[in-house]
Amino acid sequence: MAPSPCFHCQTNRAVIIRPKNREKLCRTCFINVFETEVHETITSTSLFYPGERVAIGASGGKDSTVLASVLKTLNERYNYGLDLCLLSIDEGIKGYRDDSLETVKRNAEQYEMPLEIVGYDELYGWTMDQVVAQVGKKGNCTYCGVFRRQALDRGAARLGIKHVVTGHNADDVAETVMMNLLRGDLPRLSRGTSIVTDSAASDIKRSKPLKYAYEKEIVLYAHHKQLDYFSTECIYSPEAFRGSARTLIKDLEKIRPSSILDIVKSGEDMAELVPAEIKGKACARAADDESTGGCGSQNGRTRGGEMAEMEKKLADDEAAESREVEIKLPAQSVPLPRKKQNKGIKGSTQKTIKTQTMGTCERCGYISSQKICKACTLLEGLNKNRPKTAIEVGVGLEDEESSSTLMRQMERVQLGG
Amino acid sequence: MPGKELSDPCVDCRDAEAILTLRRRRLCKDCYIKFVSYKVFKRMENYRLNRGFAKDKPCKLLFPLSYGLSSSVLLHMLHDQLEVQRSKVHGSPGFDLHVLIIEPSTISPSNPAHDEGFELAQKCFPLCSFTKVPFHSIFALVPDIKETMSQFAGKGFEDDPSLSDAERLNAFRSCIATSTSKADVDHILMNRLIVAFAKQMDCQAIIWGDSDSRLAAKTLANVAKGRGSSVIWQVSDGMSPFGLEFNFPLRDLFTAELRDYASFFPELTKLIVPDEPLPANTLTKNLSIDELMMRYVLTQGEKYPGVMLNVTRTANKLDVSQMPANLSHCTFCAAPLMNEVGGGHTQFCYACARSRPSTSS
Ligand SMILES: [Zn+2]
Ligand SMILES: [Zn+2]
Ligand SMILES: [Zn+2]
Ligand SMILES: [Zn+2]
Repeated sequence: MAPSPCFHCQTNRAVIIRPKNREKLCRTCFINVFETEVHETITSTSLFYPGERVAIGASGGKDSTVLASVLKTLNERYNYGLDLCLLSIDEGIKGYRDDSLETVKRNAEQYEMPLEIVGYDELYGWTMDQVVAQVGKKGNCTYCGVFRRQALDRGAARLGIKHVVTGHNADDVAETVMMNLLRGDLPRLSRGTSIVTDSAASDIKRSKPLKYAYEKEIVLYAHHKQLDYFSTECIYSPEAFRGSARTLIKDLEKIRPSSILDIVKSGEDMAELVPAEIKGKACARAADDESTGGCGSQNGRTRGGEMAEMEKKLADDEAAESREVEIKLPAQSVPLPRKKQNKGIKGSTQKTIKTQTMGTCERCGYISSQKICKACTLLEGLNKNRPKTAIEVGVGLEDEESSSTLMRQMERVQLGG
Repeated sequence: MPGKELSDPCVDCRDAEAILTLRRRRLCKDCYIKFVSYKVFKRMENYRLNRGFAKDKPCKLLFPLSYGLSSSVLLHMLHDQLEVQRSKVHGSPGFDLHVLIIEPSTISPSNPAHDEGFELAQKCFPLCSFTKVPFHSIFALVPDIKETMSQFAGKGFEDDPSLSDAERLNAFRSCIATSTSKADVDHILMNRLIVAFAKQMDCQAIIWGDSDSRLAAKTLANVAKGRGSSVIWQVSDGMSPFGLEFNFPLRDLFTAELRDYASFFPELTKLIVPDEPLPANTLTKNLSIDELMMRYVLTQGEKYPGVMLNVTRTANKLDVSQMPANLSHCTFCAAPLMNEVGGGHTQFCYACARSRPSTSS
């Protein structure tokens, strides 16, 4: 890079081109700008209150390490008055977490934060290694996904903490927007962009303070602050829709660096336009769902499978409809099935629909839209040594809709086993 | 007709040899045309039956024709509907169709003028009326656009009133920095032109000939450009912010089906100017976002056409009535200013600001 002065201070030499907008900055100004932007996100959304106990979901990876570092800095600089701690989940996969947990332990010392490590064995009575031994490699992703979704909440609940922050960044959020658009998943589209999730349905609030931070800037921040993190890329290929969305976003970023933020903005606007009745569902279901990243174990899926399955389903629907048309054709007096007509109804029910019946799991007390939460259902199967049938019974119809991926994964368990 | 020996009978009429597979069903040519046309026929119902419009006179519709595959095929289908409509003595007044062509060579000098296409279209579709305008007629049709353009372009652009309209438009367009922004701005300007023309002609709705893949690409591109709040009227049937209805009757058909349909009619083959294929070896970073999304939809659509079609359907499910009331609108693209930083004090929406020369990247 030809030596040029920092765009902000005009004195130091610029050493960074900001991925977000290609501004040339010096190290100090970059770190400052990065932290200030996170601060603005926090204050503009009134994310915390003074004295709040907040658990940082810490994996030892770059995102959560940067989040811990920035929150510590901001908490001191702006007197948030937060009581911060690190919360790590140990899935019990030999070798997989050892290094990252060591990193988190060092972070706890570096940031002088208490660290809680909660193991799957404590939470569920099963480690992932034991699950794999029981169900084989093919189906364990189901368990990993469901268990992990609940683990942070359950861990926080044990500590009596009501707010968990995670390291999800702008790239993750943009990816989720595109993915849900490709999957046609409006409920998830409506909640994927909000900085806080779950608050209506679960008594544990989840938020993502790095929502507007670019992944590349997180890496730069970690590098220039010389943070101690454990770099692992998930070695497993992502679910097909997510993979497709990820590729698309990487391409978009090359064309227009602001694209990631622009997609987040689009996602926020579209979330508001999701019909009220779907929003209501989304809210109620949020507790069951958290959908980012790969999982730490071999999932045995081939990339593209989810898209192919959806394609087949859509084609089936299409073919069924064609046969109906065939019957209707001669009549040619077609009824008026227009969404416009429903508008009035939608408008008037908008205020009345809140969360739909959201109970707690009969077994464990965890928030769930089912009598028995997914984790308990899976556990029942494991404990009975008969996972397949138990799963089938456990997933209700209503749920199938909101978590089709999970359902498909379960189908695979059945096939694979 | 019993007794006829057919090796592969059409599943609809059972009276002719099937020649094509449509959504897993083997059909003869006539039944294929009937099926494909019926998808559009259904979509035109409100206009054909004058629902929500005056019952005593035809409903006036504007139809922008680009000579592309999809708009040409749609015009052909709509003209068939007009023929049936005119042949009925009693019945609803139905609709009138006015075709608008923005002279392709004024959009890009590399486009052929296609004058023979204009002649041919008028000859083939005698029940429609036709107008051809140059792109720079936007200055005449949208009187305040000059001022908006100057404000949009900012310091880097000096409008020179001594130039011709064509030159002034080109000067403005050439100050837009990137290919993404250029495509974005061109699209907005053409939209404004078409809407203004429709209003001048007292049309009640605009019938857009976007194909399924174009709609899917438009949905994704708009989201990627920060235009999430306007996706809905860019791809869905219903009221646009311009006070005119927008309608996209091809939304349920696959491009391959349009191609098959066109192949049955020699006059269509002559009319259609094939899309220039996207150069395969263009570096991704040199594409516009619109081109990237079109490429994505086309390549993914080979394997997953239904998934791509579903992208548009998902966008269609968004509900404009959820939009906060009394939002002001962007002076350039007319999108509602939703969740804007600065709380509505801006003239241009978030997405237009991205395409402005000073901020475009
Ligand atoms: Zn500086
Ligand atoms: Zn439970
Ligand atoms: Zn037939
Ligand atoms: Zn705008």
